[in-house]
Amino acid sequence: MAHEVIFEAKHMHKAFGPTIALKDVDIQICRGEIRGLIGENGSGKSTIMSIAAGMQPATSGEMIYKGQPWHPKSMVDSQHQGISMILQEANTIPHVTVAQNLFAGQEQDFSKGGLINMSKMYKRADELLKKFGITNIRGRDPIDRLTFEDRKLIEIVRCVTDDTEILVVDETTTALSHEGREILYKLIHKMTEQDNKAVVFVSHDMDEILEQCTDLTVLRDGDIIGHLTREEMDAPDAVQKIRLMMVGREIGEKYFREDFTPSHQEEVALELQNISFGPIKDFSLQLRKGEIVGMGGLSGCGMHEIGKAAYGLEKLEKGQVLRNGKPIKSCLQAIESGIGYISKNRDLEAIILDAPIQTNIVLPSLTALTKGGFIRPKDEKKLSDAQIGAFRIKCGSGKQYVNTLSGGNKQKVSFAKWTAKGSDVIVMDCPTRGVDIGVKQAMYALIEEMKKEGKAILMISEELSELIGMSDRLIIMKDFEVTAQLERSKDLKQTDIIEYMI
Amino acid sequence: MENTAAVKVFSKDWFRTHGAALAGYGGVLFCIVFFSITTPLFGESIWSASKLSTLISDVIVLAILSVGAVFVYSLGSMDISIGKQVGLYATIIVAVTNSTGSLILGILICLVIAVFIGIVNGATGELLHIHSVVSSLVFMMVLGGISTLIYNNMGSRNVALKSFDHHIFKNVWLMVIVLVVEVLIVTFLFNYTKFGKNARAIGANPVAAEQSGINLVKYKVIAYVIMGVFVVVAAIFQMGYTGSASDSTGTGFEMNVMVALILGGMPLSGGMKSRVSCAVLGSFTFSLLNVGLPMIGIPVNTVNLIKAIIFIIVVLITCRKSRGVLPR
Repeated sequence: MAHEVIFEAKHMHKAFGPTIALKDVDIQICRGEIRGLIGENGSGKSTIMSIAAGMQPATSGEMIYKGQPWHPKSMVDSQHQGISMILQEANTIPHVTVAQNLFAGQEQDFSKGGLINMSKMYKRADELLKKFGITNIRGRDPIDRLTFEDRKLIEIVRCVTDDTEILVVDETTTALSHEGREILYKLIHKMTEQDNKAVVFVSHDMDEILEQCTDLTVLRDGDIIGHLTREEMDAPDAVQKIRLMMVGREIGEKYFREDFTPSHQEEVALELQNISFGPIKDFSLQLRKGEIVGMGGLSGCGMHEIGKAAYGLEKLEKGQVLRNGKPIKSCLQAIESGIGYISKNRDLEAIILDAPIQTNIVLPSLTALTKGGFIRPKDEKKLSDAQIGAFRIKCGSGKQYVNTLSGGNKQKVSFAKWTAKGSDVIVMDCPTRGVDIGVKQAMYALIEEMKKEGKAILMISEELSELIGMSDRLIIMKDFEVTAQLERSKDLKQTDIIEYMI
Repeated sequence: MENTAAVKVFSKDWFRTHGAALAGYGGVLFCIVFFSITTPLFGESIWSASKLSTLISDVIVLAILSVGAVFVYSLGSMDISIGKQVGLYATIIVAVTNSTGSLILGILICLVIAVFIGIVNGATGELLHIHSVVSSLVFMMVLGGISTLIYNNMGSRNVALKSFDHHIFKNVWLMVIVLVVEVLIVTFLFNYTKFGKNARAIGANPVAAEQSGINLVKYKVIAYVIMGVFVVVAAIFQMGYTGSASDSTGTGFEMNVMVALILGGMPLSGGMKSRVSCAVLGSFTFSLLNVGLPMIGIPVNTVNLIKAIIFIIVVLITCRKSRGVLPR
């Protein structure tokens, strides 16, 4: 198809200190296409578009946008010129209303004599939300009362205007609810099919890419490995072909656990006894040593809150969380008794972005590292380097700041904290969110290894395939209640589970 | 995967990570070089024995306070009661020494008060969910009020030591030794123990710090208590220099500490880039300006103005955020 090229990058090169993110990459984006960018963590797929959207400059190379040389000064500048990017992590302004978030930086349009006409702003916000098909949120709602998923939607509405020529969606769908995804899909199809604009879809969810995109570019280690057209994407062996391109080697058959019998030791590692808080009433769960309990459901079904409660982060109205017979009332007690927690809200809760990798990994282990009153830097480095090696975190050294890492590598850091600490019970909320196949495979192997060592794992996830693939027991929730408890079995299918969720 | 050369010196990335340190070291180096060249032209060199001892006595109180405050500032907090604390402690030490003859007793009383204030300042912020500046503001007013009452009752605006010989506190070598020992202790606690590591983690991301098992209340209290102890040490030297205290002793010290830390490259938001060296460098820059500027013929009453200009420049270099708010 002879589409008009709207954006082009030539010889784009980007280095973060010693790490090369992009090697001399050439790419063209045409009007009317939904271009998928797929690759493993750190392959450079987000980096290309973050440079195009003005988030960071390239080390060298040139860009052409609408036939002109393109040098965005900032993301603000780029958004004014028509390249908008929705980021992976939460990016809303807290403590204000939805409308104030939507119109941040445009307050002049609503002001008269120095005063902002808030009711006008709320009205405009409501109209805008309606235009995007969002009916459950209103302009005057405080943003803090929205769920993580709904806040992501607000970001999308903020990013996309009539002037948007290229919309970059960076791993956003993993942070969206089911309805949110539908809204986003509708939006990008409208933009490309009716308005002849371009969408770049950065993801490593293969199913999603194959379903939504018209063209696909595969990256690996900062290089473009190949392009696929829609016809090639429809070929029966497309998935294997893309995987091979992404990973560069056959990743083998083994992905999830290969045994299909539920197993665990007798000893109870963690017990939730009739806990009630907020909308959750009378929830009980026994987690035994060497057991992986999976929890699934739509986001907003209460499973994330259960995870927090198991870690002592929720104030219980009734019931208790027991570990070795002792009640857990705060996360400090939880950690002391050997529980680890990987938050879903990675950048805000699980890791310190503005700190080196090593600082993050050793943080929960500082007490253990203290010998004779002080902490030897050598011991810290040893502990952290062992984890960096085990997880193959892509970095120059442990001194590199976490905010320079790609999403999946950040996730590895938040995982590594607890393996370094040697926690016996690990509560993981969406442990593989934003992580690609190669790393997922390694993480699943690691989770299985933990199980064999007798660790108890509570895996909360929105991905049914990994829940089925890894759990000994599966708990499905809907509207804050348990709708099904399923044992591990070869015959368990996603379709059997979905009916309990919706 | 292959690696290229390390980050280029003076490149943009380099500035992002080392900009604040550059400002801290650059400021003090610039002052040293500038005054070394200019002061001899106006007569006396800044490195003459008498000027050097003036410099040390000028820097000592500020440096002790700033180094002690590193913990609190690394939390991203600040304490604006330390000026009034210095004033009250100096008064108490003089008064107790005069009435009982024991300097030690006065110091102990001050330590007890300092630890109490530290605990309250550190804990209220976290337990009552208010910014810790607010509770230190309360202390600033309360302590100021107590000082006023004391001096009103005495019917005089200052008190002096009667029998105790305070000349030991004017010994420059003692000042240097105390400062060096303090820097060593604080550096050790800050870089090689949980206290410092946890304080920086709290400053960088309190939610992640708590979820990693850091007791926010405990480590904030520890940070404030460490500072309180050094405020007492500073008060001893402040009192010892003249052998007296007055109702204006310590006025404005809390702001001088803040200025010194910023001049030294300390981020006001705290976090991982907080360093003990910021406090030392900043205090010396501050005092070099204090002592040096009048020596090159700048009238004393314009020195503050020049310090303000330098302060603005440093703030522009170190505290600026390049990212704006994304519009719709």
